[in-house]
Amino acid sequence: MTTAPTIPGDAGQAIALDVDDIQAGALSERPSPYVGRYLLLRVDDPRHGRELVRRLAAVAAIGPDTPGSAADAWTTVAFTYRGLEKLGVPPASLAGFAPEFREGMAARAQELGDVGESSPEHWEEPLGSPDVHVAISVLAPDAARLGAVAERARAASDDLGGVEVIWRQDCYQLPSGRTSFGFKDGIGQPDVEGSGRPLRNPTEEPIKAGEFVLGYPDETGSLPPMPSPDVLGRNGTYLVFRKLHTRVAAYRRFLRERAADRAEEELLGAKMVGRWPSGAPLAVAPDGDDPGLGADPARNNAFRYGDDRRGLKCPAGAHSRRANPRDALEHEMSVDTRLHRMIRRGTSYGPPLPAGVLDDDDQDRGIIFVFAGTHLDRQFEFVKTQWLNDGVFIGTPEEKDPLVGGSDGHGTFTIPHRPIRRRLTEKPPFVVTRGGDYLFAPGLRAMRWIADLDT
Amino acid sequence: MTTMTATDVQSARPGLRVGTTSEFTLFFRVRPGHGEAIRQALQDLQNSDGYRPGDYRIPIAVIHEARFALFDDDTRLLFATSFDGSWDAYMLDFASKPLQLFAAIFEHVEGYEGLPDLAAVKNFILDAQVTAAAYARNYPGTVKQLRKATALEEAFQRVLDDPGAEGALQNPVLQPLLDQAADA
Ligand code: HEM
Repeated sequence: MTTAPTIPGDAGQAIALDVDDIQAGALSERPSPYVGRYLLLRVDDPRHGRELVRRLAAVAAIGPDTPGSAADAWTTVAFTYRGLEKLGVPPASLAGFAPEFREGMAARAQELGDVGESSPEHWEEPLGSPDVHVAISVLAPDAARLGAVAERARAASDDLGGVEVIWRQDCYQLPSGRTSFGFKDGIGQPDVEGSGRPLRNPTEEPIKAGEFVLGYPDETGSLPPMPSPDVLGRNGTYLVFRKLHTRVAAYRRFLRERAADRAEEELLGAKMVGRWPSGAPLAVAPDGDDPGLGADPARNNAFRYGDDRRGLKCPAGAHSRRANPRDALEHEMSVDTRLHRMIRRGTSYGPPLPAGVLDDDDQDRGIIFVFAGTHLDRQFEFVKTQWLNDGVFIGTPEEKDPLVGGSDGHGTFTIPHRPIRRRLTEKPPFVVTRGGDYLFAPGLRAMRWIADLDT
Repeated sequence: MTTMTATDVQSARPGLRVGTTSEFTLFFRVRPGHGEAIRQALQDLQNSDGYRPGDYRIPIAVIHEARFALFDDDTRLLFATSFDGSWDAYMLDFASKPLQLFAAIFEHVEGYEGLPDLAAVKNFILDAQVTAAAYARNYPGTVKQLRKATALEEAFQRVLDDPGAEGALQNPVLQPLLDQAADA
């Protein structure tokens, strides 16, 4: 795979992304910390729906880093397949969307491992149902600013009787950036060519923009498939939205039972994740957390696994290493990891479980996992099915991802260690899928095109 | 292994799967007049690193074995292999790397135009692929697991070659190894 030469210091200028047409929330890094809100809407009257899209296009156009903008929040607007159908997008256009998107996430449950407790029949209403048409996310640096913008977004539908908000989920990021299991999240992100953002991982070439935004060449050198007319697809991206409940008490008890002391608890947790709680990668800091490293964006993603094939520093089965093996599989000639990358925009929801508590308090907490990319099949679904739910690729077919791979209560996790490897057995599930869907976040011109439909 | 776990893989996807491993069987037509050239290309492959008899180091690490057979007076080519994982999921990866390694062979078969893009690769492969009517394996596991098992066997033999082995293996912890030692 050929890659364009990189311009040192930023993510390349080889191709110009039409950033003014891409929704501000899609590619930007968010404020940290932030608070946010997700809204799902049902469209009963297509005309009202399109009027809503027109109003939202204006809101989604600006983010705080839009030059001259007084905005203080990022709004992202996306649609389910049924939503686009409902809004009157013509059948010939609908047929051009990715098959997985057209099917919807609930229909992919078997494939994705959303079975048992995670199966769609147990999902939270109305997630995964045909009623979900429009999804809006608003992220802001604090509650006051969120309130103002979310109110505007909600007000956009207020006088439209044919559109109804059917689900709302608040989310937040703690100042520490930690999610419910206690780890900083959102670090491992691809550098995107042409995005103009600073390079975070100098050990790899930036990934082609077409892996994340429709209308640009991707890593195969082709344009990713996109619907017609051109205006509908260009500058859009697919999103994966999953509400993932985390069993924090079960996770803590598991570590407590398996570890000799607190330090070992922290070590076992880090081995499962591939990073220490601060975000410091095990590949760089194998022996203990290094908060300075974890907090430094210039260093916390600048690493590879090539000198650690046996996984003595970071287990091959660790969540981060499975989800992005970097160069660990390069010598095998059978995988091109650049084809399986994703932008993640996940957020936390629910109250943190107070430190030290080992009993479940029945609170709903976890992450709203959000993926952005142009290839649902070889990006999200590939990573989920081949790398997280399966261990064939690392020679441990029976082992799944220790955090999100699903488990029947008998999961194992192997930690390479000298002189003797350690194996954790009888690992219960720590994550349960509460629902979600595949979405399409169009470019702004595409939103106006949808708003102007007359079908 | 009881029955093949090929069940749900069958539907629309080519290739049978047993456990972790899938068969991959391709039939090509040799370009007219290229019989000799393709034989030479295969000879070159056979003489290259990893493919020489006894190398056991095919550069593509997930492949259990690979076989190229010319037939019908060198007008047809069979390429048959078994690999770990799901062909469907890895098709694009294969296109991006391993297939390029065989370019010198494929350029002598019909339908190969250098595989400029994914659609071309898909068509090239799907046109050639035939799903086996029967597929069985005599050992479970991935190439990675087998390599590990081989290394372990070699280590165990070295232990057994040591005069101190009998005494050392008396430790009850090592009973499962001692059970293997009599005819290992
Ligand atoms: C409740 C569920 C999950 C939790 C708690 C979780 C947690 C984490 C944490 C703590 C990290 C390391 C920090 C970082 O690099 O940002 C991480 C990385 C990552 N996770 Fe997850 N994750 C979850 C689900 C998923 C799922 C479902 C996927 C994909 C299908 C995924 C893909 C990734 C990727 C791609 C990385 C970055 C790896 C890298 O580039 O080094 N995660 N996750």
